[in-house]
Amino acid sequence: MRIAKITATTVTTAALALGLAACGGAEAPAEPSAAASASASGPKYSGKELTFWRLGDSNPAAQKYTDELVAAFEQQTGAKVKVEWIPWPQVNDKFTAAAAGGTGPDVTEIGNDQVPLWQSQEALAPISDIVAAGDQAQIPKNLLGLETIDGETYAVPWGGGSRAVLYRADWFKDLKIEIPKTWDELVAAAKKIQEKKGKDVDGFAFNGGSDANHLLGSLAWTAGGEYAVKEGDKWVGKLTDPAFKTGFEQYTALVTDGLSSKSRLGQNTTEIRTRFANNKVGMYLTASWDLPGIDEDSKGKLKGDKLAFFPLPAKDGGEAQSFLGGNDIAVWGTAKEMDAAKDFVKLASGKEWGVKYATDGGLLPVYPEALAKLAEDPAQAPFAAAFAKAKAFPADPNWTEANETKAVLQNAARQVIEGKATADEALGKANTELENILNQS
Amino acid sequence: MTDTSTRTRGGGNPSPSGRRRPGRPAKASGLPVWSIPYLLLIPGLLVIGALLLYPMVQVAIMAFQKVGLPQIRPVNKRPPEWVGTDNFSQIFDNEIFWSALRNTLVFAVLAVTLTLVVGTAVGVLLNKLGKKMSTLVIVGIMFAWAVPPVAQGIIWKWLFDAEAGIINWALNLLPDWLSTLVFGRADWTGEPWLNDAWSIYMVLIITVVWASFPFIAVSVLAGLKGIPAELYEAARVDGASAWRTFRKITFPLLRPVFAVLTVLSIIWDFKVFSQLYVLMGGPTNREAFNLSMYSYAEAFRSPPKMGSGAAIALVLTVILLVVTAVYVRQLVKQEDMT
Repeated sequence: MRIAKITATTVTTAALALGLAACGGAEAPAEPSAAASASASGPKYSGKELTFWRLGDSNPAAQKYTDELVAAFEQQTGAKVKVEWIPWPQVNDKFTAAAAGGTGPDVTEIGNDQVPLWQSQEALAPISDIVAAGDQAQIPKNLLGLETIDGETYAVPWGGGSRAVLYRADWFKDLKIEIPKTWDELVAAAKKIQEKKGKDVDGFAFNGGSDANHLLGSLAWTAGGEYAVKEGDKWVGKLTDPAFKTGFEQYTALVTDGLSSKSRLGQNTTEIRTRFANNKVGMYLTASWDLPGIDEDSKGKLKGDKLAFFPLPAKDGGEAQSFLGGNDIAVWGTAKEMDAAKDFVKLASGKEWGVKYATDGGLLPVYPEALAKLAEDPAQAPFAAAFAKAKAFPADPNWTEANETKAVLQNAARQVIEGKATADEALGKANTELENILNQS
Repeated sequence: MTDTSTRTRGGGNPSPSGRRRPGRPAKASGLPVWSIPYLLLIPGLLVIGALLLYPMVQVAIMAFQKVGLPQIRPVNKRPPEWVGTDNFSQIFDNEIFWSALRNTLVFAVLAVTLTLVVGTAVGVLLNKLGKKMSTLVIVGIMFAWAVPPVAQGIIWKWLFDAEAGIINWALNLLPDWLSTLVFGRADWTGEPWLNDAWSIYMVLIITVVWASFPFIAVSVLAGLKGIPAELYEAARVDGASAWRTFRKITFPLLRPVFAVLTVLSIIWDFKVFSQLYVLMGGPTNREAFNLSMYSYAEAFRSPPKMGSGAAIALVLTVILLVVTAVYVRQLVKQEDMT
């Protein structure tokens, strides 16, 4: 039964790969080089099969890229690659199950802020040799902050993602709203949208769910705040600093000022996206990977010039700090085909496929020249600009516990919004809790 | 009588006891007679041992260990580290534990009381109804009892949805003066019922009571059928009121039924999980955690801390055992007094 299933998948994958290799060859100019190396190392892994986890929805662009990458790898090495898609909100649960049951993939895509956590659970294999040589040596070292732990690198940056404000360009046009240059203008724009489009519309959606810190972080960092700083080998919480508080109050004011409804304090970006697609949100902080989903949810009504991005403005003009998000590719710690897995990562994160991954997937390439080229494109410029000054969350395996499981800041915001505590009280408590979580062994 | 049983259990005695058919050889299996009941128990014990006792012992051990993914994975597993009572002191220091404990207790008290009251009332009603009507009502309420916990959660989550829920719609249909009089407000558009801890628990209580009262009602009905009608006739002749009849006849005679139903309800309501999980959409609002949810969040949300999760589960089990033991003792005492 199981063998039959595996055989069936293998046959399908192979058939798919053959078909794609055939049509891919015609349009991709890079194909000859791959073919050349194939003759050298062709049968290297023939008969072996890799499992590769891709994260997110398998939208057509991502699917096409993955198929092409897999076809190229199969052609080069003879190994088969089985691709499985895992939606973002399920990633941690799926990784947990895989690490507990020993049924992990060989290679996986992984969010860069998840690397410390899964490294601490010994779920990733060290791959320092990959980033030390070849194309990967060109990746700027400051992009490897979350991936490098105790001198070893556990994942290769694949594409960067900084967030910007996605807005309803058609509504802005209807209501003659200019693109906000300061925070106050953004608030005014949001209020105007609610006035004209209905009270149940969120002018600017509050994110209080699992990825709330992307929004809160942007606001707090822009105000000059930090979550926590490592002093010696201890994390010291900085949530009570006035700068952080400024950003935090800006964040809670989204609800207390009525820009976003009090009934959705726990919504995450995926939920906001669905509401956006249903004409219930005017603006929210996200990145272009949401666009295919919006197209699908709105049944093709929301796309093209009906929506656009602008960089999140700082309180008194200028661009806000953004979260240095990004997706990495890593070798699973218990990979059955370790060598083949490493070669796959090498190919995927190399300049050719790495840049293609980013550009096809609406992300920013991690290779400097490609990024510089992208900044010339007006549609991508907001992201490139934000990426250049992006910041990251505390690089600690326990950050996920504070960020998602205990939802420390989300809870503090809820207390303030519901009037159960002042910002100072809530942040004071959150600060102690954050320190305790980050400093636990 | 004593004589026979001793001899039967004596094992070595080949003389057949009164129950045994004389024709049958005493040692067909080559085993002593006394061992047969135990032998027959073995399969059952093995199943219980493997499925219940072993995991329970395992949880108890884990509560004193630090257990994460590296300790449970099948490939190069690490030995778990003994941490003594660290897991316990950690959870007792955490305010989430105390709010979860409060939520668990308050919820259990309210839900058990309401379930029993509503269930008994419906049971008494069923007893009064004619045969057809009573069958109809039983079939009707049994549908609620048959709904699986996750589906219960989904049904009530939809009803109480802030934007598309029928509850807000219905409340908005009330005349404004009535709504203002009763609730102090007229506009219910977008009222977020599943946001605050208290309103989540209100919905949870409704969900749990809705799904569990039919069982109580039918059990009470079964008990009522066993009470001789003469007692009620006598009460009627003496001119006792309905309430007095219930208190003096029905309740005392149904005491054993109520005892079992209460213990069962306490056990069910203490560990309610699925409905809360669905209503809240996973462990999101930590102020609304109960102990089961807190244990789940600690053990399985990343980074998984199965030791603390097990410690919370252990605390929950101990509380449950104590509450049940105290209650059963109380009942036995009352039984002795009457």
